[in-house]
Amino acid sequence: MANVILDGVTKKFQDKSGEIIAVDDLDLNIRDGEFLVLVGPSGCGKSTTLRMVAGLEMPTEGTISLDDKLITNLSPQERDVAMVFQSYALYPHMTVRGNMSFGLEEATELSKEEIRERVEDAAEMLGIYDLLDRKPGELSGGQQQRVALGRAIVREPEAFLLDEPLANLDAKLRSEMRTELQHLQEDLDTTTIYVTHDQTEAMTMSDRIAVLNDGELQQVGTPLECYHRPNNQFVAGFIGDPSMNFLDVTLEDGRLVGEYFEYPLSDEVLANIEGHDELVFGIRPEDIEILDAAESRHEYPATVDVVEPMGDENTVHLAFEEQERTESALTSTISGMRNVDELESIGIGLPESAIHLFDAETGESLHNRSLGEIEGDRPLKGAQPA
Amino acid sequence: MSQATTSEPDGVARLLPEISYRRLGLYFLILAFVAFFVSPIYTGLVTSLKAGGAATTPFLPPTLDNFTLANWGQAFDQLSRGFVNSFAMAIPATLLDVILGSTAAYGLTLVDWRRQMPVVLLFVFGIFLPYQAILVPLSDFWTNMLPLTEGLIIEGITILPASDRWGSLAELTITHVAYGIPICFLLFRSYYKTISKELVEAAKVDGASITKIYTRIVLPLSKPMIGVVLIYQFTQIWNEFLFSLTLIGSSSDQAATITLILSGIGADLSGVNFPLRMAAAFLAALPTIVIYVLFAEQFAEGIAT
Repeated sequence: MANVILDGVTKKFQDKSGEIIAVDDLDLNIRDGEFLVLVGPSGCGKSTTLRMVAGLEMPTEGTISLDDKLITNLSPQERDVAMVFQSYALYPHMTVRGNMSFGLEEATELSKEEIRERVEDAAEMLGIYDLLDRKPGELSGGQQQRVALGRAIVREPEAFLLDEPLANLDAKLRSEMRTELQHLQEDLDTTTIYVTHDQTEAMTMSDRIAVLNDGELQQVGTPLECYHRPNNQFVAGFIGDPSMNFLDVTLEDGRLVGEYFEYPLSDEVLANIEGHDELVFGIRPEDIEILDAAESRHEYPATVDVVEPMGDENTVHLAFEEQERTESALTSTISGMRNVDELESIGIGLPESAIHLFDAETGESLHNRSLGEIEGDRPLKGAQPA
Repeated sequence: MSQATTSEPDGVARLLPEISYRRLGLYFLILAFVAFFVSPIYTGLVTSLKAGGAATTPFLPPTLDNFTLANWGQAFDQLSRGFVNSFAMAIPATLLDVILGSTAAYGLTLVDWRRQMPVVLLFVFGIFLPYQAILVPLSDFWTNMLPLTEGLIIEGITILPASDRWGSLAELTITHVAYGIPICFLLFRSYYKTISKELVEAAKVDGASITKIYTRIVLPLSKPMIGVVLIYQFTQIWNEFLFSLTLIGSSSDQAATITLILSGIGADLSGVNFPLRMAAAFLAALPTIVIYVLFAEQFAEGIAT
């Protein structure tokens, strides 16, 4: 078990059209025993980063180390890491036992007896003991997934690298495996880097999230930090489902002026955005209040466009009153027990304590929501400074 | 409830099965093809079982009077030396081709290193080298530059004792191996391209070396393609005539392969002994048929991929 330290890691690929920068000057310090999730849209360089830690790709610049040991230019065989692939990559001609012992036979000096013991212990832990003598082709997707995990676990490596391991499972199994993986990682206490494009997986499983976009690191932090205190508009939009509402606004006389609404700001918020005129106004769907009518400050008349009932909650698409109904401006989530009808005229409240403001050009976050009501006496879970 | 209605034809037509003319035509065509392919085998077999030199009625089966197995016995006697020679040459040549072709394909497909493509192209180029173009330099090479018939001694260790028969066969074997590598390489390469790259990467992360990845992962997965290459290459080498003729020359040579002997069997000044020739042809073809049967399963699997 070790710290994994990436220092200024850059990866460039040569293409017919020139150079593609897959990963750009990435600094990351993954602490011993930490579960770090690398998340981002497809093509953001997260898999490339993981493959560089595994040694399957060599970084163009920068260094990677396990604790004090520099591993930048070592081959995968020389690094003590284990990887789980999205396709599982189980050896089809070997039994489950063969698959799980392969790494131990190749990478360690363990005796046959010790290998057998380790494999059987891991199989028991994963609930695949009865499958040890079957071939991968005879297993279901979920079982293959466990075998792939088992193959990594028996190695007892310095770090686990998981590349979208749950992507090929159906939704129900995926959420089961999510919990199981978390337990497993807590028990083993091994440094883990987990790559996914699914922000739900990132939020629920990780100790810390690293959000990547276009090969650049956007933010590293606990899930709730990324959720409530995004560094920029990309992180704000990527984390959270349904994603944050964004409206383009300009600052005029201490008020935000959008296409369909005006939003007066308090001095406190104004101080944060000083010197920026073109802004993006952001608010999370669950922070939009649905009212009977717009009555006071920060409340606006609106029309319900579409309601998507989810059972526990409803996702409501809303349009400002003056707006054409073909494009809805805001998405809101409300309790599933609350009834709103399509085309109903209502009021919406956009509380100032819940708004985020971003620079329109750079996307940089200028003002994040206040956490007063959540924090109370207790600080936000895991929100201590990194 | 409505009753199901059927339109039953009346009279005689009801007794006949429904025949579509399309289907009938298809059967006829298939039958014609079967006859086309079976008839030479049939006439050959029938002729080989008849006594007497002339084959005047090739399509008639042998009568009780002129039925004999003597041709088969005689053919076997004359071919036996060729059988030994051909097996001694074809089996090692085929196995070496499989080993060399698959290792070369592994190294050039699943192992990463720079500038692979020119090497791949060199292999592909080898496939298109016409036999005729290399015959003269080939015989020159084995007679003047490296005459294995005089034995091969490296640093005092005798690798091959001087022997006209085994020396010539060794030359022929090496020639076949060299000429077979490109096509075997290409067959294995196309197969290895279908193997998931992640499988090799998983083995790398598991700590396996390049040779271990080959012996423990890639080779076991190559079984279907090994079947294909074994059948294909053995048949090629077994049936090959031109190299034998160039390097060995005459059917009376001690090293004569089965194809060389077959070309002269049953022909002398008194005419052609067709029954003997037919029996010999069947015997000579037997090993390739056996190979097909032995590896048919892998062959079908390999072709399908």
